[in-house]
Amino acid sequence: MIAIKKSDEDELTVAYKEIAIQKEENEKLLAALKIAKNELAFQIEEKGKRAEELSIANKELVFQNDEKEKRAAELTIANKELAFQNNEKEKRAAELTIANKELAFQNDEKEKRAAELTIANKELAFQNEEKEKRAAELGIANKELAFQNEEKEKRAAELIIANKELLAFTYISSHDLQEPLRKIQTFVTILLENENENLSESGKNNFQRMQLAAGRMQQLIDDLLAFSRISTTELTLEKTDLNKIIEEVKTELRDTIQEKQATIEATELCPANIIVFQFRQLMYNLISNALKFSNPAIPAHIIVKSRIVKVSKLNNENLSPEKNYCYITVKDNGIGFEPHFSERIFEVFQKLHGKDEYAGTGIGLAIVKKIAENHNGTITATSELNKGAQFDIYIPA
Amino acid sequence: MVLEQLNILLADDDKDDRFFFKMALDALTIPTQFTAVEDGEKLMEYLAGNAHQLPDVLFLDLNMPRKNGFECLSEIKRNADLKLLPVIIFSTSIEQEVVNRLYINGAQYFMRKPAEFSQLKNIIRHTVQLIMQGNISQPAKENFVLTIQNSLAI
Repeated sequence: MIAIKKSDEDELTVAYKEIAIQKEENEKLLAALKIAKNELAFQIEEKGKRAEELSIANKELVFQNDEKEKRAAELTIANKELAFQNNEKEKRAAELTIANKELAFQNDEKEKRAAELTIANKELAFQNEEKEKRAAELGIANKELAFQNEEKEKRAAELIIANKELLAFTYISSHDLQEPLRKIQTFVTILLENENENLSESGKNNFQRMQLAAGRMQQLIDDLLAFSRISTTELTLEKTDLNKIIEEVKTELRDTIQEKQATIEATELCPANIIVFQFRQLMYNLISNALKFSNPAIPAHIIVKSRIVKVSKLNNENLSPEKNYCYITVKDNGIGFEPHFSERIFEVFQKLHGKDEYAGTGIGLAIVKKIAENHNGTITATSELNKGAQFDIYIPA
Repeated sequence: MVLEQLNILLADDDKDDRFFFKMALDALTIPTQFTAVEDGEKLMEYLAGNAHQLPDVLFLDLNMPRKNGFECLSEIKRNADLKLLPVIIFSTSIEQEVVNRLYINGAQYFMRKPAEFSQLKNIIRHTVQLIMQGNISQPAKENFVLTIQNSLAI
C-alpha cells in the first residue's frame, strides 16, 4: 500500500473528490432525510391527530347512528299511530259524511217546519190578539160581576140578619101569644062547665066553636114555635142509634098507632150523626104524617130504613160526592099525593087537604125540611095518589 | 107518710092564673090550705118568714117580674132550710132545654098550664095526690114532665 503510484494518486484525488461529493451528497441526503424524517414525523403526528379525529368522528357517527335508529324506531311507532289515527279519521269522516247528510235532511225538514210554524205563529198571534180583546172584555165583565157579587153578599148578609130577627120575632111573639090564648080557652071551658045550665044551645055551640078555633090557634103557635126554634137553637151533632129515636117516637104516638092499627117496621137502621131532639121531631113529624094520611081501608104500614151510601151515584146537586151519607127512607101505604105536589108540601102553611078533612097547620113538613137542612142534608118526597108516599133523607154520615 | 091536709103555695104573677088555680083546687074536694104570692121576691120573703112551717108543695111559675122562677128554684135548692120543699114548675110553654135545666136544678115536676079547665083540674089533682102519697124526691128524668095523659092514667 505504501507505494502509491501517480495514477493512483489521481485516482485517490478523484476518489477523494468523489468521496467528498458523496459526503456532500450524503449530507444533503441526511439533511433531506432529516427533513423527510421531520416531515414524516409531522405527517405521522398529523395522521395520529387525524386518526384520533377520525376515532372521535367515528364514535360520533356511531352515536348518531344509534340515535337515528332510535328515531327510526320511534318514527315507526309514530307512523303506526298516525296510520291508526288516519284510519280513525277516515272512519269519522265517513260517519260525518253520513251525519252531514242526515243533518242536511233534518235541516230541510226544519225549514219546512219553520215555514209551517211561521204560518201557525201568525195564526196564533191573531188568535192571541183576539184573546186579549176577549180578556179585556172579560176583565170588564168580571169587575161588573165582582161588584154584583159584593152587592149580593151584602144583601145575603142583610137577609141572614133579617131572617134571624124574623125568627126571633116569630119565637117571641108566638111565645107571648100563648098565654092570652090559653086564658081564653080556660075561660071558655069554665063557662061551658060552670054555666052549662044558663047557656042556650046556640050559646053552647058558639062557645064550642070558639074553643075549636082557639085550639087551632094554639096548634099554629106551637108549630110556629117549633119551626122558629129549629133555626135559633145551637147545633150539636151526636152519633145516635136511630132505633132509639124511632122507639121514642113510637111511644109518643102509641095511641094513634093503636087507633090506626098501624105497624111500624124499623129493622135496618144505622147510627147517624144527628141533633137528637131535632131529629126526633123530624121522625115524629114524618111518622105522625104517615099515620094521619093513612088509607082508612087498610092497616097503616110504615117502613123506616137507613144505610150509609156514597152520594156520587145519586146525582143530587145539593150533596157532596166525596162524602158518605146516611140515607134514611120513610115509606108508607097511605093516601099519598099527586107527584106535582112533591115540593110544595115542604113549604110553610102548605096543605093539600081542608082542615076539616085532616087537621094540621101545614108546618110539619116545613119543620122536617128545615131539620134536614140543619144537618146539611136534603129531603125529597115521591108519591102518587093512593099509592103511598116515600120520603128520602140524606144527611152526612 | 100520708098527709091529712095539704099546704099548697102558688107563686104566679098572673091574676087569672091564680084565679084558675084556686078555682080548680076548690073543685077538687081535697082538704088543702092554699096560699098565693105574686112574684119571686114575695115568694122568697114568704118562705123566709115561714121556715119552720113550710108548705108541703110549691107551684112555681117561671116568668115573673123582679125575680123569676129559675132564680127562686136555685135559691130554694141552695138553702139548707128550704131545699127539701118540693117545687113543681107551672109554666105556659114547654121547651126541652128549659125542662133539662129545671131538672138539673132540682125541680120535682114540670107541668104545662093546660088550656082546658077540666085538664087543669086533672093535672092539679094528680100532682096533689102524688105529693100526698109522699112522692117528694125527684123522679127519673122521663117522669119529670107531668102531662095530661099521665095524670089521666092515675
